Amino acid sequence: MGFWLDLTASGLITGGIYAVVAVGLNLQYGLMRIMNIAHGEFLMVGAYLTWWAHTALGVNPLAFLPVVMVVLFLAGLLVYRVCFLRIARGAPSVEVIEARSLLVSFGLMYLVQNAVYLAWGADLRGYSFLTEPVEIAEARFTANRLVVFAFALGASLALLAVLRFTLIGKAVRAMMQSPVGAQLVGINTATLHPVVFGAGLALAGVAGALLSMVYEISPSMGEPYTVTALIVITLGGLGSAAGCLAGGLLLGLVEAFGMHFTNPSLKMLLSYGVFIAVLLARPKGLFSK
Amino acid sequence: MRFILRVRNLALASLALAAALPAFAQDVKIGYAIARTGPWAPGAQVTQEPNYILWAEQVNAAGGLSVKGVKRKIELVAYDDRSEMETMLRTYEKLMGTDKVDLVLPPWGTGANFAVMPLLQKYGYPVLAPTATGRKLLEMKNPYFFAMLQQPDLMMGALAELLVSRGVKTAAVIYVDELFGLENVGALETALKAKNIRIVEKKSYPLGVKDLSPVLKDIKAKNPDAFIGVTYPPDTFLVTGQSKEIAFNPKVFYAAVGTAFPVYQQKMGATVEGVMGLGTWNPKSNPGTKAYFDAHVAKFKKEPDRWASAHGWAGLQILQQAVEKVGLDRKALRDAIANGEFDTIIGKIRFKDGENVSTPGIVSQWQKGEFEVVWPKARATAQAIVPKPAWK
Repeated sequence: MGFWLDLTASGLITGGIYAVVAVGLNLQYGLMRIMNIAHGEFLMVGAYLTWWAHTALGVNPLAFLPVVMVVLFLAGLLVYRVCFLRIARGAPSVEVIEARSLLVSFGLMYLVQNAVYLAWGADLRGYSFLTEPVEIAEARFTANRLVVFAFALGASLALLAVLRFTLIGKAVRAMMQSPVGAQLVGINTATLHPVVFGAGLALAGVAGALLSMVYEISPSMGEPYTVTALIVITLGGLGSAAGCLAGGLLLGLVEAFGMHFTNPSLKMLLSYGVFIAVLLARPKGLFSK
Repeated sequence: MRFILRVRNLALASLALAAALPAFAQDVKIGYAIARTGPWAPGAQVTQEPNYILWAEQVNAAGGLSVKGVKRKIELVAYDDRSEMETMLRTYEKLMGTDKVDLVLPPWGTGANFAVMPLLQKYGYPVLAPTATGRKLLEMKNPYFFAMLQQPDLMMGALAELLVSRGVKTAAVIYVDELFGLENVGALETALKAKNIRIVEKKSYPLGVKDLSPVLKDIKAKNPDAFIGVTYPPDTFLVTGQSKEIAFNPKVFYAAVGTAFPVYQQKMGATVEGVMGLGTWNPKSNPGTKAYFDAHVAKFKKEPDRWASAHGWAGLQILQQAVEKVGLDRKALRDAIANGEFDTIIGKIRFKDGENVSTPGIVSQWQKGEFEVVWPKARATAQAIVPKPAWK
């Protein structure tokens, strides 16, 4: 029994990490169809800011989370204004937004990455934080992984609640369904659009900050995370907060059990197997409507 | 009339001088492509490119590279290969085929070196590669390729010797699903078998894995004397952190690539105490390594890694000595490297069929903030601590 619990828990925790990585992109792509392929790069910026604040200034990484969030949010507003405003405004349909934003953010990806190379160099970096093991029901986990998991759970549930129960959430969903219709009923899309984009970047930054506590970081770390995020939100259903969490956790569990009962080298095969199976059964993702 | 003649003579003389001058002062062009961006960059920028820059600077400060006794300044012609095999190959093709630089220095990593080897032979440029390992490379029998690192059988053989000398009877092994992992785990199995050490578990894992705790828990349950991870840097960090997490503390804990990186200790802190890995040297090894270490830190504000960095430096020392002796005729240079013996910071080095046959397999261990060489005894800077202390 302890063994099953152990395996489940480690799967859930890794899954939580996957979900955290995907939350920000889920806002941008899932809700607004802005295909921000530079998502992983902004995550990396969050990681670097946190690492820098901790090693150079001695700031507690957890206390620094709000700073990362604000900085990335403001950066998000700026990026939106410079790169995506015209696209969102001029595009005749969401498909066009998708295609054009993909191209623009591809360029962004290189810009951000190279800016970090210039600022901090290519070396691997890292610091040690909350690495003490915590014992829960005979299973042991490092505290930093638990923090990431708690945040994944918290952020997903909060997002779910905001989208479902608040007026802003309703406005965001309306904007997604029909930008023109939303304007007609009095929703200020000119404000809401950049704010949601900024929130997506802020969440990416926080995810990066959390990951920097667990893994070591480098300027090229972003790309694999972008891929993970895309898989998770497609698995869960675009724009669905619950789906994002469920998709991440499912992947984590499949990997943990798969690695135990088969071989770690089959990890990719298993994850993509699940991905394909879900897409065959529910082409729009687990939680799509 | 005499005046005019004198002027003419002067003009001719200065012309001749102008024509002759560049030949005397011409820089030695040394080209290379290496990763400054992309996934190879962390390794390349810790282990390899800083050596090139530091070496060129030191040689130039001393008047230049001695080409058969004539000192000529070094001009590095360097490109970022962006961690792309294609870009790397095209750059070397351009450097050797079109620009015809005097010498080239190798790219970073086993894969890139493997890919560039045919070009080196085609254009006849000798290289001494510090970050390429594997018998597969040597089996190519490329006369222009010299591998500075110890081969897997030597490194794993040294580890097996150390283990048996400390009474280790059982071992559990994980390895990365790449050429590096496969070749090393093969060598390890042979070495352990020869010393009658039983392998109780052997599992592979893919690059980019984010969680290895399910595997480590299995291994912990089998209670082996030694844990040996044939790992790459991200996973080296991962297995260390997760073994601590689940309180898996075998008598010997060994992880391969990355343990020698300064960032390993910077990130993990006191946790690394007692962890063993691939290493060759540290500043205490000899006065040469101390001078190298200090110059590196002074120039780049960061430490070199305790394994391949010094092999990279030694490769440049060999190149320098060979150029001094035979000049820039690359065929003669190749023969000089292949047949000579050279003094380097990691000891005397001689090659046989492209393999460094002088540097023995070595095991190092983190002890109080330094990656101490603990095996073989002749190179040791400290005694091995077995059993490893509890995780901190």
